[in-house]
Amino acid sequence: MFQLFGNALGQVVVISVLVGAGLPALFAFGVRALALGSGGAAEVDHRPGRPALTVVAYLCFALVLAVIAAGITIIVSSGLGYHVSFDNVIPTFAKK
Amino acid sequence: MTLELLLLILVIGTAIAFDFTNGFHDTGNAMATSIATGALKPKAAVALSAVLNLVGAFLSVEVALTVTNAVIRIQDSSGAPKSEFLANNGHALLMIVFCGLIGGILWNLLTWLLGLPSSSSHALFGGLIGSTLAALGLGGVNWMGDGSKLDGVFGKVILPAFASPVVAALVATIGTWLVYRITAGVATRYAEGGFRWGQIGTASLVSLAHGTNDAQKTMGVITLALIAYGTWTDTTSVPLWVKVVCALAIAAGTYTGGWRIIRTLGKGLVEISSPQGMAAEASSAAVILTSSHLGFALSTTHVATGSILGSGLGRKGADVRWGVALRMVLAWFITLPAAGLVGAACYFVGNGIGGYAGVLIVFAALVGLTGWMMLHSRRTAVHAGNVNADWHPEATPGASVAPVPVPVKA
Repeated sequence: MFQLFGNALGQVVVISVLVGAGLPALFAFGVRALALGSGGAAEVDHRPGRPALTVVAYLCFALVLAVIAAGITIIVSSGLGYHVSFDNVIPTFAKK
Repeated sequence: MTLELLLLILVIGTAIAFDFTNGFHDTGNAMATSIATGALKPKAAVALSAVLNLVGAFLSVEVALTVTNAVIRIQDSSGAPKSEFLANNGHALLMIVFCGLIGGILWNLLTWLLGLPSSSSHALFGGLIGSTLAALGLGGVNWMGDGSKLDGVFGKVILPAFASPVVAALVATIGTWLVYRITAGVATRYAEGGFRWGQIGTASLVSLAHGTNDAQKTMGVITLALIAYGTWTDTTSVPLWVKVVCALAIAAGTYTGGWRIIRTLGKGLVEISSPQGMAAEASSAAVILTSSHLGFALSTTHVATGSILGSGLGRKGADVRWGVALRMVLAWFITLPAAGLVGAACYFVGNGIGGYAGVLIVFAALVGLTGWMMLHSRRTAVHAGNVNADWHPEATPGASVAPVPVPVKA
């Protein structure tokens, strides 16, 4: 029982840390890039904006949205009786 | 009306009532941080959460008919009630489920009155374990499963309850720490504004996941009662009306907003800012989704509380009110046994007196105690208008239990 529990818990911890801490971190990179991109009052140092970073910011936000979409996919598909696998990055579905 | 039909009707009614309490007890898990940071207006937050719970409840076509199997032995593995409970239109099973539900509801209401976020699934399981112990003795409870997988009271309830808040706190601590490191140099107001959006997105994910998980439990319980009584025979689907009613009940409960619990989670535990809020909700969503994906049962409430605590630990200089946290943890420890005691007491009274009188006396006790707690809650009402008022635990002893209504801070 404890070994089973340890195994399951280990997996939950690793994936949760990666996704659960990685997602806000990614979002934070987006916010920072956006701030540097617009410059001025958005930043503590009030430097001039660097518009190229605005593009980086939107890339970060797009990735965040993709992760949230993956989350919704897991919720919906497991509700409909499918198991989603992200082994090949692209989600694949299999009937449970 | 036969006694069993009366029991069936009461089981369905109490199950729907439990589902409603499940909804308002858990609104805070998803929305407390968004309300506390002002990312969403209180009413908008509960409305959004209610809609997502409603959608979530309909999303799942999988039948959670075997929900009681995790803790007690009244069903076989297909979900059908065991044959020894089917005599007299399932009288024995209906009585166990009825008393178990009452244990769950009363504990949910008491913890709500005290503003404590405790687990609704623990309350339901606790109630069912109590009434089963009273009816069948120790052998009726599934303590460990057969050892081949994580099962039973230990594997599915107790062990995850110890682990999940710790995991969630760890994830949120790391997330919060990273967020503040990365956004150093960004003007605070600018960052706050950005993170509000992230917060709403991740909180919505938690609400949706809640709807798919929790409404299923009540649907399973009602369908089990219908099968035991003999009006439903299919163990692979839930009657449509059961699905609709349960989805509406959990959504209505969510919309009612358990403001007392929202307040404790959003204001009591940690003074939260929107970057912390986003880290907390992202942690909750990740832990809940990973666990349910891996078939690891845990309580949304424990995860959400752990995450909010972690968001306080991860930010330099943030205060965590350990006194509030300690009260919550104590409430978690006693949720299962307390709901169990109520479930067992109901069974002894209901079965001891027997017949219509026994059933009606137990039901009257439920109605009476519910009414008493509702009235009691009015003395120190918490609502959308004062949910974010400053937290003054030192000003009046017990204020963390019963927040004094003070003017709303914009």
